[in-house]
Amino acid sequence: MSQPGLSRREFFLQSAVYGSSLWVLLNMPRPRAMQAAEESSARAALTEEQWITVEAITGRILPTDQEPGAVEANCVNFIDKALAHEDAQAKPLYDAGLAGLGAVAHRRFEKPFTQLTPEQQDEILAALESGKADGWPNALVPSQQFFETVRAHTIIGFLADPKHGGNRGYAGWKVIGYPGGGHHLGGYSPAQMIGKEKIKTVWGEEV
Amino acid sequence: MAKRDEFDVCVIGTGAGGGVMLQELTAAGFRVVALQRGPFLKPADFDDDELRTVIRDEVFSADQVETYRYDENSPTETGRFNYTANCVGGTMTHWAAWSWRFRPDDFKVLSTEGPVVGASLADWPITYDEIEPFYQRAEWDFGVSGDAAGNPFGAPRKKAYPNPAHPGRSASNRVVQAARKLGYHPFPTPVAINSQPYGARAECVHGGACLGYGCPIGAKATSLSVCIPKALATGKLDLRPNATAREITIGKDGRARSVRYLDSQGKEHEVFARAIVVAGNAIGTPHLLLMSTSGSFPHGLANSSGLVGCNLTLHHIAAVAFTIDEPGRGFTGLHSHAAFDDLHPSDPKRGFIRGGVVGEANSPTNQPLSFALVTYQGYPAQRAWGRELKDYLRKFPRSIAVAAILEDLPMEANRIDLDPTVKDRYGLPAPRITHRQHPNDFAMNRWFTQRLMDVADAGGAVDKWEAQYYSLPTERSAMKGFMHFHGTCRMGDDPKGSVVDRWCRSHDVKNLWIVDGSVFPTSGGYNPTLTILANSYRVADHFVREAKRQQS
Repeated sequence: MSQPGLSRREFFLQSAVYGSSLWVLLNMPRPRAMQAAEESSARAALTEEQWITVEAITGRILPTDQEPGAVEANCVNFIDKALAHEDAQAKPLYDAGLAGLGAVAHRRFEKPFTQLTPEQQDEILAALESGKADGWPNALVPSQQFFETVRAHTIIGFLADPKHGGNRGYAGWKVIGYPGGGHHLGGYSPAQMIGKEKIKTVWGEEV
Repeated sequence: MAKRDEFDVCVIGTGAGGGVMLQELTAAGFRVVALQRGPFLKPADFDDDELRTVIRDEVFSADQVETYRYDENSPTETGRFNYTANCVGGTMTHWAAWSWRFRPDDFKVLSTEGPVVGASLADWPITYDEIEPFYQRAEWDFGVSGDAAGNPFGAPRKKAYPNPAHPGRSASNRVVQAARKLGYHPFPTPVAINSQPYGARAECVHGGACLGYGCPIGAKATSLSVCIPKALATGKLDLRPNATAREITIGKDGRARSVRYLDSQGKEHEVFARAIVVAGNAIGTPHLLLMSTSGSFPHGLANSSGLVGCNLTLHHIAAVAFTIDEPGRGFTGLHSHAAFDDLHPSDPKRGFIRGGVVGEANSPTNQPLSFALVTYQGYPAQRAWGRELKDYLRKFPRSIAVAAILEDLPMEANRIDLDPTVKDRYGLPAPRITHRQHPNDFAMNRWFTQRLMDVADAGGAVDKWEAQYYSLPTERSAMKGFMHFHGTCRMGDDPKGSVVDRWCRSHDVKNLWIVDGSVFPTSGGYNPTLTILANSYRVADHFVREAKRQQS
């Protein structure tokens, strides 16, 4: 087997640095282990402190506004379960990245990330995203790579099927107006395809 | 001594090319063994889970390893660059089912255009008229739905499609309006998906997840849903999933003799056959031939020309995403409901030769994760997170994409060979892709992107952006892989300039045949699968007639 970790890093670096990605590069080989990512919020990979920090980051990547954001969608639970199973190879990146985030937050504001205001958190995350975070300790783990990984994970946790542990109560699908898998729902009529008839969602509403 | 594991024919690969051979040769009474890497999936294995199926790709090709380099002087990357499905039925299992006939000039690119510096243009050894009856056969076996009179720029035909076109969705209707406004001639995209019950398969329910997904109800025509059941029903097929071919051996008589393959545990087996058909796609086929070295073929089987693996073509894509002021219902229906072909005919005045077809396309735009992670590439955001990202996601129901499938010019140095260091899980060398683009590709991609921007504007775009998946944003860009693979075992009349003859039989090894996209000398500006199918019917027809002639 070659080094799947390398592909992962390359992808996240590529999406961070060049702003373009190949569809196929998202399709990285991974172990097929994840069976139990139902809405169990028992921690599987993250420590309690890591959990609340990751939750806070996700809350800035997809913030709560007039509609639910990553926190309500329980994206951190998706990430925790992914790190325990399919994406276990990214766990060291999270460990190093969260330590780095803590160091940067302390250098700038002398507080843990979770105790900062949303504006201060955004400032820290922007610094990580740009690769210019003062106090980032680990030259081996670029801060951009950590940021891009959490960003992608947050999006996936927001929009993947709830059975993977995020998108709680279909929060993400409600925000974007996606009714759920079409074959699941029995398909769509010609009138529904042109908006002449409403569509029933997986959670039982009509849109 | 145990009885030798021996068959009339061994077919390696069960996708579009191999599937038709299995269907046709078993129907003609041959005893056939089929080897396929990956599992034998059932409709119950397919669902709409985008994370599992498309993003994590746990269903189709989990253990594929490839390497890529831009040219011989560039560093090599390891990854997965081609969107294949390694399972019974092959990549066609998750195809979008766009079903085109190539135009007559697609078979004669060199004589139509003349030589082009830096490109290895070639004519196909066959004409459109020779393959036309087999296109018809493919359309009727696979139940293509469409409007046969819809495309004034399409290839001439003698018979309509067997099924009527599918109804449109709001998004495709908007693209149709826009194309008409620009003076184009839009028509329903022809697809091998049942618009009514056909061929013992169900009518499509327009569930929206086609490209990248297996069809859970079998309405999509694939090798898995059409060919494999027919071939198995003859009782003549020994189908062996989880069988990774690693070498074709050659006998003292110079004929292919056996295939050595590995099961899922890595244990080696050997199966013998009087004829061997390779259909592993334009990456897998040269990969296998190059691994099959012997005294008479030190540089790979059937490779006296030195061209096995060369002239890889992958297509390139121009794509524009835009949003409109009402729901597009893009997550319903097929992958594509509308297309136009007005920009396809070659016109050197545009600053490039050749062209391609344009279609409305719902993936990767009208599926949540793909919209957020893939279509987003190219979106002009100030910040890729926070409120801006959330506002982008809220555009989802009103988003539409149009894409052009563009012909890339072949270059001999673009090729597949064996990676000298990277191995797969069995210890076999990874296929190494060396690929860059001809200048014609960049000119074409830029021009088509502008035309697609015009379509977005004519369609009432609220905002629009170049969706940069598979596009060529800079002159150093290159396709590292795609879903369309062609060219690496060209067919031709000259044994020095091609790998197989007009019947797709090796010039060097008289009982070795290749029936996949690798025999395409040029790639055409259309999705290739219907042409792979038609060519396979043509080869099967010849194979059976030759066998009968030799018997009598």
